Amino acid sequence: MRNKYIDAFEKAQVSEKNIPDFRAGDTLRVAVTIKEGDKQRIQNYEGVCIAKRGTGTGATFNVRKIGANSVGVERIFPLYSDSIDSITVVRKGRVRRAKLFYLRDRRGKAAKIRELRK
Amino acid sequence: MEYIVEKIGMSRTITVPSVPVTLLKVVEAKVCEVDTDKKAIVAYASGKKMNRSIAGKQKKYNLSAQFNRFVTLNVANEESGDLDVSVLNDVKVVKSTFDSKGRGFAGVMKRYNFKGGPGGHGSRFHRAPGSIGNAEWPGRVQKGRRMPGHYGNAKTTVKNEVLSFDAQNGILAVKGPVPGANGALGRVRIVK
Repeated sequence: MRNKYIDAFEKAQVSEKNIPDFRAGDTLRVAVTIKEGDKQRIQNYEGVCIAKRGTGTGATFNVRKIGANSVGVERIFPLYSDSIDSITVVRKGRVRRAKLFYLRDRRGKAAKIRELRK
Repeated sequence: MEYIVEKIGMSRTITVPSVPVTLLKVVEAKVCEVDTDKKAIVAYASGKKMNRSIAGKQKKYNLSAQFNRFVTLNVANEESGDLDVSVLNDVKVVKSTFDSKGRGFAGVMKRYNFKGGPGGHGSRFHRAPGSIGNAEWPGRVQKGRRMPGHYGNAKTTVKNEVLSFDAQNGILAVKGPVPGANGALGRVRIVK
């Protein structure tokens, strides 16, 4: 169990955040705010969430996509950071584990994740 | 102004850039006696230590049985009673004094950040201090030579910015780390 004062300090910051419920295997669109000089813009990053870790303000999630020239790109985002404008769940995936690091060794069709149907 | 605080632990903020935060809990304390220059005898509770000297002081200042530690602090109070923490609401910088974590008898790499030698390739020089002096002249080791010895568990003071104060729980959030283990008691002194 975590310390109640640390919990309270982190909850106060986190409670106003509107984070959708997602898990590893889901395809996400993350809107990241980017600051260039004094201008600010939003860039979307879309890929499969392959891991979620941590609790409280330190929680992060890992999003993998196949970039240009079929080079795998992974970005680790802080779940509650102010630098993230929004997170949208594009597609729910059917997976059987919490960490999908095996996707790193797979290419093409083998790296596909089936959609979750209820 | 000084306060007795307990180190709770560390956290971080979600701002950009994220800031490391140490949470300090201001220990509940009673002011027993205030001197003219605002120096005061302050009682707080820690552990179960009790003897006749403590019992006598408790009787003198009308304290309940759990207040068994006495210290001299600079306080904001004019009179005896509960310690006044309202000053902490608009504090910007504090100096935190704690005993650092004890590391026992430590070598020079841990204690003074000596570089040490390579681990392998038959170097035969790993974590030892190396040469400690010259030859027949001066024929002795210079004073102040850094050598292995006891490291840590010493009074250490650092300056921290204050990020927030939660008066309800008595939690002071300061920027950056503070010496000592979680749960340790120390002092904060208001600088600004």
